[in-house]
Order: sequence, then C-alpha cells, then structure tokens
Amino acid sequence: MIQISCPFCGKRDHSEFSYGGDGQINYPPLDASEDTWHDAVFLRENIYGRQIETWQHLYGCRSWLLVERDTRTHEIFSVKLAHSDWQKLMEENR
Amino acid sequence: MTAIRVSQQSSINKHKEEETISFFWNNKKLRARKGDSISAALLANKCQIIGRSFKYHRARGVTSAGVEEAGALVTTGKGAYTEPNVRASTTEISEGLFVYSQNAWPSVRFDMGSILNLFGRFFAAGFYYKTFMGIPPLEWGRGTGIWMFFEKFIRKAAGLGTASRLEDPDSYEHLHTHTDILVIGSGPAGIQATIQAAKTGKDVLLVEQDYAIGGSYLSLLDKSEFKKQTIKLKKHNITVLTRTTAFGLYDDTTVGLVEIICPEERDKKPRKPRQRFHICRTKRLILATGALERNYAFSNNDLPGIMTVSSARTYLNRFQLLVGSNIVISTNNDSAYETGLELETAGASVTILDSREQIADLLLEQILGKRINLYLGSAVAKAKHGVISPCVKHIEIAQKTNDGWRQSGALSCDCLLVSAGWSPVIHLASHQGCPIEWNEENACFISNGDNKSIFFAGSAAGIWQFEDCIQSAKEVAGETRTKGQKPSSIIGGWRTAIAPLYEIRVPTIKGKAFIDLQHDVTASDVRLAHQEGFISVEHLKRYTTLGMATDQGKMGNVIGLALMADALNRPIGDVGVTRFRPPYTSISLGALAGMHRQSHFKPIRKTPFNNWSLANNGIMIDAGLWHRPWYYPKQGENLQDAYIREATITRRSLGICDVSSLGKIMVQGPDSTTFLNRIYTNPFAKLAIGKARYGIILRDDGMVFDDGTTWRLSENSYLMTTTTNHAAAVMATLEELLQTRWPDLRVHVTSVTEQWAGCAIAGPNSRSLLSEIVDDPSEISNETLPFMGVRQVLLQNIPCYIARISFSGERAFEVYIPSDYSHTMMQFIWNKAQKFESCLYGLEALGTMRIEKGHVTGAEIDGRVTIEDIGLGKMASQNKDFVGSALRKREMLTSPNRPQLVGIFPKDKNKTFSAGALLNEAGKRKGHPLGWITAVTYSPALGHWIALGFIEGGLTAVEDKHIVLSDELRSNFLDVEIVSPHMYDPEGKRLHG
Ligand SMILES: [Zn+2]
Repeated sequence: MIQISCPFCGKRDHSEFSYGGDGQINYPPLDASEDTWHDAVFLRENIYGRQIETWQHLYGCRSWLLVERDTRTHEIFSVKLAHSDWQKLMEENR
Repeated sequence: MTAIRVSQQSSINKHKEEETISFFWNNKKLRARKGDSISAALLANKCQIIGRSFKYHRARGVTSAGVEEAGALVTTGKGAYTEPNVRASTTEISEGLFVYSQNAWPSVRFDMGSILNLFGRFFAAGFYYKTFMGIPPLEWGRGTGIWMFFEKFIRKAAGLGTASRLEDPDSYEHLHTHTDILVIGSGPAGIQATIQAAKTGKDVLLVEQDYAIGGSYLSLLDKSEFKKQTIKLKKHNITVLTRTTAFGLYDDTTVGLVEIICPEERDKKPRKPRQRFHICRTKRLILATGALERNYAFSNNDLPGIMTVSSARTYLNRFQLLVGSNIVISTNNDSAYETGLELETAGASVTILDSREQIADLLLEQILGKRINLYLGSAVAKAKHGVISPCVKHIEIAQKTNDGWRQSGALSCDCLLVSAGWSPVIHLASHQGCPIEWNEENACFISNGDNKSIFFAGSAAGIWQFEDCIQSAKEVAGETRTKGQKPSSIIGGWRTAIAPLYEIRVPTIKGKAFIDLQHDVTASDVRLAHQEGFISVEHLKRYTTLGMATDQGKMGNVIGLALMADALNRPIGDVGVTRFRPPYTSISLGALAGMHRQSHFKPIRKTPFNNWSLANNGIMIDAGLWHRPWYYPKQGENLQDAYIREATITRRSLGICDVSSLGKIMVQGPDSTTFLNRIYTNPFAKLAIGKARYGIILRDDGMVFDDGTTWRLSENSYLMTTTTNHAAAVMATLEELLQTRWPDLRVHVTSVTEQWAGCAIAGPNSRSLLSEIVDDPSEISNETLPFMGVRQVLLQNIPCYIARISFSGERAFEVYIPSDYSHTMMQFIWNKAQKFESCLYGLEALGTMRIEKGHVTGAEIDGRVTIEDIGLGKMASQNKDFVGSALRKREMLTSPNRPQLVGIFPKDKNKTFSAGALLNEAGKRKGHPLGWITAVTYSPALGHWIALGFIEGGLTAVEDKHIVLSDELRSNFLDVEIVSPHMYDPEGKRLHG
C-alpha cells in the first residue's frame, strides 16, 4: 500500500508501478567478460535497511525510476528518474 | 440461566411500544425486539445452547456481547445467502432472518459428536499429528496412509459452519477513501477525539464495527453524557460509518475497512452492494478501539451460562435483558462492581467472588446494604451443569491460601460472570509492527502506536478511568502532543490494583479448563506443549492451534502466554506475543474480490477484427488477456474437423488469419539502427529500407527472451513485432535499456499494437488475392515485393502495410490496416477471396502449420532455452556483441548434451500423443527423461500426428536409438521416431516465387 511520488505524475499508488530490481547495479558494456556479466546479473545484496531500487511507472508515464526505500519499513526517502541525462534533455526540449 | 426482559426507566429507548420483529432459529419462528443482536434475541427466547464446540462437541452458549465472542457462532441465511461462523453477539437481528446452529448433528441439544468429549484425553494438542501424520518409525508411509484414510471423517466432525457452494448472488464494491483523520471506535474516547478533530477543520472519518455508535456508552445505565456527545457530533459535518470494521493496517497508514450495508437499506434498494471494501488513506489514525474483557481458565469454564461481566451489563442496559436471577461474579479487578450493583438493582441476587484479599473502602461502601454477598480472596474453581441441562447450575469455590488455591465451598447459581482483566485492542498497531509492551501493573499488553501517525486513545491505551479516557482523546485529536511525548493521562487507574488471574487449579478438582473456546484448547494443552518443547509463542500457537480460530484468540491468547510463562518460570513480558495479522475480525472473500469476478476478473483484449470474426462463425479462445479466433467451424464440424480443413485449404489455395495480437513497437530516432543491432542476436546494421528481418532477443543471462520480425520503414524508423505473450515485457525492457543503460542513444519506442489490425494472407493464391485488393497490383509482384519485403500500399485508398513474411511456410503476406478501417477492409478482402478456394483460419490451424514447419512459439521459448537449443544458433552473430552475448557462452549453456529441438513421429502412424509426454530410451522409462513433447497436432500435410519437442543432444544423438514416448497420466506408451523439426517442406520452396 505504499505510494511513490513520480517526478512527472505526482504521488501514485504502488499498483501503478512495477518493480524492477537492484538500482545500484552498474551493467557492464556488452563486450565485457563473462565473469563481469555474471557478477552484474547474478550477485545481489540482500539489504536489510535502505536500498536503491528501480521501479517503472508502468500505468503512468512509463518512466524508469530510482527509488530509495527501507526494506524493513517500506518508507521511501527519495524518487528520481533513472535516466542519467534527464535534466539536460528536459532543458533541451523546453 | 434464564434471561428476562426488564424495564428500565432511564433507558434511552424509553419503551415507546418496542417494535418487534420475527426471525427463525433452526427454522422455528421466534420474536425479537428491533435492535437486538442475534445473541440478545436468542437469550430473550431462552435459547441458551447456541452451538457445539470445534473438537469435543461440547455445548456452547453466549460468552460475550462483542467481537471476542467464542461460543455463540451461528450460520445465517439460506442457500446462496448462507453465511457461516457469524458472531451472534455483533450481528443485528433483522426481519425474517434465518439463524442456524453449527457443528451439531442431529440437533444442537442432542449432538452425537459430543461422544467425542468422553474420549477427550485422546484429543489433546498434537493428537492428529502424532496419530495420523506419523510417529517414527511409522512416519514413512504407514502413518501418512492412516491420516489420508481418516482425514475426511475427522474433518467432518471437527469444525464450525459450512459455507454455501452456490454462487454469491450479491455484489460488492471497492472504494478509495481519503481523510485527514480516521478515528476507529465510537466509544467515549472515539467520539471525543472525533469532535475534537473536527474543531480543527480537518476531514474526519469515524468508523464503528457495531450497527450502532456508542461503544461502551451503550452499556451504561445513565446515557445522558452519550446524548450530549451525539448532539455535538451531529453539529459537525463528520462522516460516520457504522457496521464498518477496520480489519487491517498497512503501509503509509492505509487502513482496510469493510462496511456492511444495512440490511434494511438493501431491502429498499436491492441493487445496493452487500458490502463495501474501503482502501482508506489517512494522515493521522486514532485508535479508540477499547479493551476486551478476559476470562480465566477453570474447570468447565465453557458451560452455557458463563459470560464476561461486562457483557451482562451490555445485555442489561442496551437490550434490557437480565441474564440471570441468581448470579455469581468472579473477578480480580474493580470493573465488575458497577455491573454487580446494576444487576442487583434490576432484581437479581448477586454474589461477588474477588480474588483479591483486600479492596478499596469505596467499593465496600457501594455494596453495603445491597443484596450482594462478597467473598474476598476467592474465585471459581469449577462450574457444574445440571442433571439434564448442560448449563451452569453450581460452582465450586476456591480460597486463596499461603500455598495456592484450595477448595472451600460451593454455591448454586443460574449464571456465572467472569472478569479476569482487560486487554486493550492493539491489533491494528501490531499489524504494522508498532512496539508492544507487557504492562505488569495492569496485566495487559500496551502499545503507544508509532508516535508519528498512529495514536491510541481511551482504554485501547490501557486507560481505565472515564475522565482520563476523555482527556487522552482530546490530546491525540487536538495535535497538541508533540513527537515522543507520553500522554499525560494515567494508564490504569483502578482504586485497587488488579491481581493477575489466569487459571485456578485445585488438586482436588478435575475437568477441562479452556483457554480458547473456539478451538477447544485447554490449559493442559499448553502445559503439554511446554513439556514437549514447543515453548516459543509461535510454536505454542501452531502446536495447540491456540488463537487460530475465527476470534484469533482475542480472549485466550493472554491466558495461553501467562500459562506458558508460568511453566517456564519467566515473566510474561519475556515470553512475548505473536504478531497479530489482518484481518481483525473475519471478512468475506466477496468484499476482497469486489467487482473483479466472472468476466470482470481480468480485462479482456479484443482485436479490431473481433466482431467481424464472431459474425463469421469464429470461436474464440483466451490467449493471455486476448480473445483470439480459435477456429471457424462449418456446419457439423468440431475443432479437429475445422482446423484440419483450414490448414489443408490454406496450403492448397488460400487462408486468412487474424494476427493483430502480435506486439507492435515503433522504434524511431537517429540511433534506432544501433539500438536494434544491440538488441537482436543477428545483424541489423545493414537492413535495407523496405525489408523485414526475423530476429531473436536474449535476456541478459543468455536465454531466449522473444522473437519476431522487424521492418525498416525509413532511415530512422522501424516497426518491431513481438510475440503476443511477451509484447508488454519486451516494451518495458526496451524502455529500461534506453532509460537506465544507454541514455546516450537517441531512440524513442512507442507501442502501436492497438493502432494496427494485422491479417495473414497465406497460400499459393495469396498473391492473386492481393492483386485483387491493392489499388496498384504492380506493387506486389515477386520483384517489387520479394520474400521479406515490406511496402506501404493503398487499399481502397487507405494507406496500409504489406510485408511478405510467412509463419505458415506458404507464400504469405501480412497486411496491416489502420484499426479504424479493419472491419470494412476485412469484409472487402473476404469478399474478394470468394473467387478462390479459401477459408478463414484460427489459432489451431496456425499452430498446425507452424508445427509442421518447426517454427517455435512460447511453448518452446519457455525461458529455459538457448538460441542453440531451438536450432537457431546460426542467428547469433559472431561479429558483434548484443544483449546476452556474454552469458550465453557459459559452459553449461554450450554443452552439446543440452536438450535440443526435434520433430517427433509415431512409429505406428495411426497413433496419437499429447503435449507434456516424456521421451526415453526403450527399457529406461524410470527416472529423468531424455526429452519431452511441447506441441502436437494432426498434420494434414503429412497425414498423421506429429510433434515438436526437446531431446538430449538433439537429432544426431538419438538417431540410432530406440526412443519411446510415455504419458503416464493418460497411460499412453508408444514407439516414436525422432526427426528434424522441419517436418514439411524443409527447403522452404513454397515460400519463394
Ligand atoms: Zn509517472
């Protein structure tokens, strides 16, 4: 029953979103080694506390988001767009 | 116990000709007063035995006047309206209501099952597990077998009410409710908090589980204060919901409410829902949920005629029912005295046994000169029923001595009232994990909420004095209290301290002492659990089933914990409490399902051709959310006749099929080519404009994700198609890659699945048909539109796309029409098709033709296969990197022994088989199979049944082996021949030209 504040759409019920996964994984380039890819795809921390995770506003603007959430209390501390250049893009298109 | 109606001058219902209504108790017509609960109506009609208990079939009567009710569970309604396990204590009687007793045969007064009571010692905690689930060394096999044999008999004998198996004729609603302040409970604290909160100008919602507001006010003799408060309440514009239970507290102070619509209101407006499920979001939650009175364990404490002290007060002052004429009260606290006085005033003779050896002078003064006998340092040790009547008739008294309790005398009575302390209702806070503490001084668990948005007021906070309750309500509602500050009101507040009382055990007295009346859990069960090592509260609960019945141990949990603490010789606070889980009281599944049932269970997706297909005799099948045409039967045809005809005509001449459900994604922007080249395993860097290419997408882990064709429409614009099943997942993945991994790529993806209606036109005559329908037939010649070519063409002056791609293996085209024109255009195409031998074909014939060709779908691409497994290894480029290219090279994924796609023929061509069957070497049918079947069909082209499947090592590994197919479930065993998956036209001659 948590609510997520989408930077575009405002505060919405979590049922509009779909959970992605660990938001702190740095996916390697496509030509990286098998071992590097193995670690990125399969090794996950099981965090007890605050973690950054990805969610998609599936039934809204379809943005992928980085959400900082406490896995114990479900309290959400921050939400931002996952796209690293979004601020620049927004200005260019203003 | 024989209850009688009394007249009280000060009562709020000033006996203005009480309105009477009729109801049915086990089909016998009885009369009740309007406003009675079922319990009150039954008591007024001298019905004392209401049900039979869960395990021992002991007679059970009314034990309370609230949600903690453990004895008076009934079934209401008939047929499809049957509702089992209804608490008689909280359900309003209504005109013509059918009420039935439960778990009794042939009747509640004489129940055959009660013979189980005689064998009670065999039915102690863990009995079923030990006897039937297996005791070493019997647990392997024999024990389980015995359990399976006896289970159905035991399940029939043990239990409560039986639900109807008919469809629920009522409707239910879901609502999203928002408020600033939600107050739960409309007793003195709840009403005060509501008034206080409304004064601040905030939105306030007050909910009450009872059918009348007032809470404990309703149980008071003097109702003047209640009247004053209700007038104040009405002055403010406050939403008040009665019959509404806050059953669960969730994240972000979201409260689950179930509102039962007043039966009378529904009689007037029958289309009203039976219940409403509110998802209520509030900024501040005030729990004025009150406290529940406990009983304690003593021999035969479950006899009809035994109830809590406060419930007798409720029956007296709310329902004008005096529950007995010769009443014994057994208590350990002050709260029982007022009730004792009121019962005496109403005409009963009253004896109070107080387990405390001293009480405050004020209490002594109050009872002075009344017909009240007081025994200090005393408690009930055993209740006894009459010679014929199973109701309480006598009690044995125990007297406190220096070394425990000792039998000290006997009394006769017709009603026994018990009060062994009060448990604040802290369930909702517990749902959200708020801290809960054992308060030794008041012998109860207390929670302070979370000091942020969840607050307690009144006796729910462990505050007993009326004025203190009111003060606490003012504080939590007026928001004067700041974070971390404790309430100024006094927790507790009795004149004489409560003396903990959980069990009276006297060596000279035997008999079952219950702690959980609903599940027949006794004090000795708890001791047995301790003896056998189940000492954690979670184990205790599961081993004895304490607190697992419909009342969730509202009365009994604390007693169980206290007895365990006693056995462990540790303080109760150390033993802990199991976390409460929603729902607080049982709620109906109908309310949770709401309108999401039958055809509204999930959304339906219809293709733009849906109505046209239905009008042309199409039979639909569910494919995910989609309704897709399955087959188009002619007169007298069944599914098999139809699909064989459809596939035959398509291969011989011409067939048309709705393929609109395929996912369609526009990929646009200057970096589209780079993007697609990273997504697909095969090269996309040099796809010419006006050409389509079949491509495969892997997941990061190297497994096959999806496949489809992608068409280059212009320099920077592509139309990607996906499988029907994975359309949404592919779209989300593309968005994820663009937004999170490759933000530098200038690409935009848009789902256009709904914008285009697609139909496949397949068969040797497909081009002939197309030349009839396109405005300029030169555009679709073999030269202008070669295999895998794409063109925008005009059909009836409407711009459409034609792509020459084939799933059937025939010369074929896919025509994409703007959805709005789909119906007319399909009619136009179909009219022109009448010139040829032609048919409409559905999903079944489509499947037949793709199996014949060895084309894979979701049945094969099930998330566990590599690109090599499905025989498409050549499509994985060696010259570029793509999603999944690193991890697909993992050792186990490149093993030549992996199961690979093959075709399967029965050796005897008359035989059939089914998907899911296993493949083995002859004589090695046991154990892990060599392979399995994924899809089967009768092949009209080959004239026998064929299949696709996987087998270890693929075709070459089993060429000289004798392979058998086994389908254990259908007892089908036969010899098969493993062949190439390309079972029909392997060279693909029919596609070209
Ligand atoms: Zn959004």
